[in-house]
Amino acid sequence: MNTDAETTVASGDVRTGLIQKEWLQKYSTLLVLILLFVVFSLTVDRFLTAFNLLNIIQQISMLTIVGVGLTFGFAAKEIDLSVGFTVGLSAILVPLLLTMGVTLPVALAAGLGAGIIVGLVNAALVTSVGVPSLIATLATGSIIYGINFLTTEGRAIYGGLPDAYLWMGQGRIAGIPALAFFMFACVLVAWFLMEKTVFGRYLYAVGGNLKAAELSGVNVKAFRAAALVACSLFAVIAGALLAARLGSGQPNAGERYLLDGLATVFIGMTMFRPGMATVKGTFCGALFIGIVNNGLNLIGMDTYIQSIVKGVIILIAVAIVSRTTKLRLL
Amino acid sequence: MRFPGTRALDSVTVDFRFDEVHGVIGENGAGKSTLMNVLSGSLAPTSGRISIEDRELKLSSPRQALSCGIAYVSQEGSLVPGLNGAENILLGAEPKLARGLIDTAALHRRARELTTDWFPQVEIDLRQPVGSLPMADQKVVEIIRALRANMRLLILDEPTASLPSREKERLWDIIRSLPKRGIGVVLISHFLSEVKGLSDRITVLRDGQHVGTLAAAEVTEQQLVDLMLRRTGDTPQARAFEAGNGALGDTVLSAKDWHVGNVVVPSFEMRAGEIVGLIGLTGAGHFEFARSLYTRSGVVRGHCEVGGRTVTSRSARAMQRQGIAFIPDRRMENALIGEWDLRENLAMVHPEHAAMGRSGILKRRTEAVEANRIKKLLNVKASSQYQLLKNLSGGNKQKVSIGKWLYGARERYRLMIFVQPTEGVDIGAKLEIHAHMRRLAERGVAILIASSDLLEVEIVANRAVAFVDGRPVEEIPRERFSESAFISAISGSRQ
Repeated sequence: MNTDAETTVASGDVRTGLIQKEWLQKYSTLLVLILLFVVFSLTVDRFLTAFNLLNIIQQISMLTIVGVGLTFGFAAKEIDLSVGFTVGLSAILVPLLLTMGVTLPVALAAGLGAGIIVGLVNAALVTSVGVPSLIATLATGSIIYGINFLTTEGRAIYGGLPDAYLWMGQGRIAGIPALAFFMFACVLVAWFLMEKTVFGRYLYAVGGNLKAAELSGVNVKAFRAAALVACSLFAVIAGALLAARLGSGQPNAGERYLLDGLATVFIGMTMFRPGMATVKGTFCGALFIGIVNNGLNLIGMDTYIQSIVKGVIILIAVAIVSRTTKLRLL
Repeated sequence: MRFPGTRALDSVTVDFRFDEVHGVIGENGAGKSTLMNVLSGSLAPTSGRISIEDRELKLSSPRQALSCGIAYVSQEGSLVPGLNGAENILLGAEPKLARGLIDTAALHRRARELTTDWFPQVEIDLRQPVGSLPMADQKVVEIIRALRANMRLLILDEPTASLPSREKERLWDIIRSLPKRGIGVVLISHFLSEVKGLSDRITVLRDGQHVGTLAAAEVTEQQLVDLMLRRTGDTPQARAFEAGNGALGDTVLSAKDWHVGNVVVPSFEMRAGEIVGLIGLTGAGHFEFARSLYTRSGVVRGHCEVGGRTVTSRSARAMQRQGIAFIPDRRMENALIGEWDLRENLAMVHPEHAAMGRSGILKRRTEAVEANRIKKLLNVKASSQYQLLKNLSGGNKQKVSIGKWLYGARERYRLMIFVQPTEGVDIGAKLEIHAHMRRLAERGVAILIASSDLLEVEIVANRAVAFVDGRPVEEIPRERFSESAFISAISGSRQ
């Protein structure tokens, strides 16, 4: 017989291998996180102490809140590059109002209001004007940055802040930092909204397939807008807490939250549902960053080296995410 | 090789020759794509081997397969639409001047040489961006690109799937000419008559198993269908045909003076329990009309009543409230989310079904029960409702796309609009989908189908409306259904 090309394909039992692979995809980052924790516990003095662990929680609380906001954005395939400056905006607006004698609830409400306004402006640019969120928020971020420095003339706002406000950032309940409670409250609310409600389902639908969501009857514009408003809203919450923690409002204090916040989401996207931003993933991402930072700190590693390490971790996370799914934001 | 829960291909041995067109057929999920992915190097077999002329090949990437002389032309195509034909043909192998600049003159010369060398009968404007070429020409450009290196075996996956019928024949000539020049062709297609007409031998796969390889001249299409389905004699297709005429109810849809883009429909009505098929050549406007009834995009003006009430709103939600469902074509683009599991996809339109009261808080249990009901109802083959949608076969995906409108719908839909309802769906699933349309119609749902598959309309519809150049030109009642009646109607030649 004139057999020129032949192919034989046979299959053994590879089901177990497949399940293992799927399991690894979902949980490998979590395993690394646990491993890291164990290694630090065994090798670094003062790491595994109640004091230090609470310290880590406190350190990551604002970061987690920003990350949770960004998770809403990523769920709908929107990215908000203005969050860092939005953190700064409320970190000066709330203390500024307080020093002017406005009561705490009003000042906090004003901070939240500012966040909603920023979110709505971003949303309008994206959904009505049609600018991709990556670009729109880059521009609004620059505008907010300018506003922050104009209003403060680059100086910190301090003195005369009410105790109740400072307590939010520095106080403890039964030894546990008040910040931790705010963080867990944000995480819980966000997790519930995203995982347990019709709202969350629609949000993921918009991010998963915009066209399909639209034809299925989802008000696509409203959900893209909601995603961007959530980004800003959580950013202003983090900002208000940040200023309370620092005891002063500093115009540039929020900037690092953009990159670190994105990192928490990217790390989170490597686990549980690879390629999708989830609240629990983001929380683990924040823990990851918190533990790395803290461990390296305790070893006495230079902060610049920490920055390099963080960059490498983000790269690895993004590489994993892009290999498993299409990471497309524009 | 396995996909979750199912064995994609099991101990299949096939030999392909360099002097034949070798058809590969099977239902979706039978393992055609897996076999082709293995051959083209994009999927490594768990075990087994591939050899050319007794030389064993290690194919771990498409690039390697190419260098071994195996090229793969996918269904969707992989041309760069903005580049012209010549640029596409020589993509990645452009003739260079000094300093790395592209020698445009040589590029066009070389592309033209390749084209006339391979297919002297073909005339394609290689200076046009390929995106603006007819679909058949795009395929030809892609085939020429595959042939530019020393190819021995060319794998064509559904090469005519997106082609209007008049363009198909040109491509058939080209496919037939290749084995004469020593290029083996592996042809995968859902169109049995096409496979039978073009192939020298046909390999039938079913559930990942090799059913047989037969000489095309010695089998009938019916025998091929039986081999694919392991069914003989009384086909469900025949039964569905008998189930044709139930009593029709009240008028459900009435569209008047409907202008969408260049399409004008003076009057169109549908009654409860009726299945209407819209047919036409590509560009005849029947797809635009069907889509516009739900999406309203491009509607210039028109009056539309559903159940006697005028529809004014343009939002999809409002259409749903009127009782209109829309199952679009190109399901992965328009209807489904590959990264979601089966359950989540099914719950996409009416997730609130599983919500507690009006709170919007989802109950997993309720959702799972309802998703399972739909999965059973439509016989979706998946390992569980938690299987990711992207791992399902085309037929099962399409069932999910339909199931979205049954999940939690509680009979609310009285008009369901289908565009290309069985595009890229295997025969087994196709029959099931048709049977389900019948069941829906029997329960009083009006079903509108815009399809390029005439046989489908012939099997399932009560009435067909033929579109030519943006106008409905002829209405054909079921009594007059025949392939020739359809073809003469859509080509505008009225008897």
